[in-house]
Amino acid sequence: MKKKITLLAVNLLFSSLVFAQEQHRAAKILEHLRKPSKEYILAVSHRGDWRYAPENSLQAIQRCIDLGVDIIELDFRLTKDGHLVAMHDETVNRTTNGNGNVDELTLEEIKKLSLKNAAGVKHSRQQVPTLEEVMMMVKGKVMVNLDKTENRWVKEAYEVLKRTETIDHAIFKGNDDFDVMREKYGSLMDSIIYMPKLWPENKGVRSYRKNYEEAINPFYYEILFESTEAETFKMIKDLKRDNDGFLAIALWDELCAGKTDELAMLEGPEKAWGWLIEKGATAVMTDRPYELLKYLRQKGLHNE
Amino acid sequence: MVLAESKVLIGKNTNHLISIDSMIANLENSNNNQVMVVAHRGDWRNAPENSLQAIENCITMGVDIVEIDVRETKDGVLVLMHDETIDRTTTGKGKVSELAWEYLQTLNLRDGIGHSTPHKIPTLEEALLLTKDKILVNLDKSYEIFDKCFKIAKKLGTVNQVIIKGAKTRDKVEKEFGQYLGKVYFMPIVRLADPEAPKTVEKYLLDNVPVAFEFTVPQDTIAFIEQFNEIRKKGSSIWVNSLWPQHNGGHDDEKAVLDQTIYDWFINNNIDIIQTDRPQVLLDYLRSKNLHN
Repeated sequence: MKKKITLLAVNLLFSSLVFAQEQHRAAKILEHLRKPSKEYILAVSHRGDWRYAPENSLQAIQRCIDLGVDIIELDFRLTKDGHLVAMHDETVNRTTNGNGNVDELTLEEIKKLSLKNAAGVKHSRQQVPTLEEVMMMVKGKVMVNLDKTENRWVKEAYEVLKRTETIDHAIFKGNDDFDVMREKYGSLMDSIIYMPKLWPENKGVRSYRKNYEEAINPFYYEILFESTEAETFKMIKDLKRDNDGFLAIALWDELCAGKTDELAMLEGPEKAWGWLIEKGATAVMTDRPYELLKYLRQKGLHNE
Repeated sequence: MVLAESKVLIGKNTNHLISIDSMIANLENSNNNQVMVVAHRGDWRNAPENSLQAIENCITMGVDIVEIDVRETKDGVLVLMHDETIDRTTTGKGKVSELAWEYLQTLNLRDGIGHSTPHKIPTLEEALLLTKDKILVNLDKSYEIFDKCFKIAKKLGTVNQVIIKGAKTRDKVEKEFGQYLGKVYFMPIVRLADPEAPKTVEKYLLDNVPVAFEFTVPQDTIAFIEQFNEIRKKGSSIWVNSLWPQHNGGHDDEKAVLDQTIYDWFINNNIDIIQTDRPQVLLDYLRSKNLHN
């Protein structure tokens, strides 16, 4: 944690006192993010609540807002005519009733498609949303974690955030070394919230983090570890020492040493989410937002 | 209000467990005010479609009928699978009819975003065993392979829980399927866009009326809807899908999830069996109206 952040927090507090305004929920979430704590665990929903509505749809986002999710992880890709749209795959084939690569379709063409639900049926009445539509929906309510923008579309995404006045609502992420990001994006890297991923496959993961610490001192990291033997798992204590947040990804075995959502369903939440939190996770990404929130609230770890 | 669509999974809610006898009695009674809930492909939101877990979730939720899809492997094993190929829902590839059970066993089912899960492709036998004395089962895609399905149901003692449907005239069903009528529940599917629909229904209603008709209702202005009440008085329940707009004149699940009073169209039009992709939402709504006790 660095002074600049503390100052910002003080600033926020000060302005809210001066104007006697109720702080909106997204700002409270940002404070939790900047001051990671074992007392409040952030619930991060993967692709929106895709069980309830199509993945990466406005309905799936609204559902997360209604449930009380803190951060919604969503995927964005650039269309042929330069618009960022919410789409996980390179093609629209799996999730819509259309065909083709996102970068070979125009926004107008993509807007004609219907999103499919999780049983592959197209009658959801949901369209592919743009980043702009997403940010207008979440503004003041919840934060988003932008996936797929990585080292490709940070600038394009930033333009949309600036226009919608939601720069402080979005968390960028990626795997690239800081030098790569600085080279490509220059001072933009100082203006966005960036959460580097710590990958176990990265042999130089310690120096990778060191570079980020020295350059922009991120206050949160996404940590992936296939087992407790992974170097990245051993780095958790460094993050704790530095008061940096640790986002655990409970989606699949190889990302969290098997402490997945599915394990939470089959053997109870303590064995999965409880384990991750005990190991130091201050945020958990899940495909089961309803159940995760229920668990966190029962444990008193999500009191707003 | 946030709908607890997945509340069955943590802190299992078993307050609503109903005995199989009362489910069967309810199915056979077309004149009570109870509405039966059919879950399409099981609880596919919270477990892979057509998985044992998806069936188990339906039982826990208090669903009356679970709809599952049956296909036969190359070597004659009946398995649950919606598509002709296993590509979308499993970690493997190919047509069910060209693959051996030994291979299918090695695969895993995918979840709704296409990621592998620990769940496996179930055989019909495993599925029926799980449903025994707990929930009624609609075997979709089973008409052509029903001899084999029936053998399995008979072996397990679940014949009286099996429902099969077909878009066929009475003559045809009696000829092709006669040996099973009276043993399992057969429901004719009647598409109300078909000009022959009233005649088809009339023939079925002559005697030995079916336990229910499934109607597809492309527009809610179709005059035949007014006959539903009469048909129920004659002893057949009325099944309409809330799945997609073309089934119900636009009174579908995706509208209802935003405004549950959309389901009033079914209730007000004497429909007493609803197949849904939103079983928890529909159950909550029916229970709030004392239509699912």
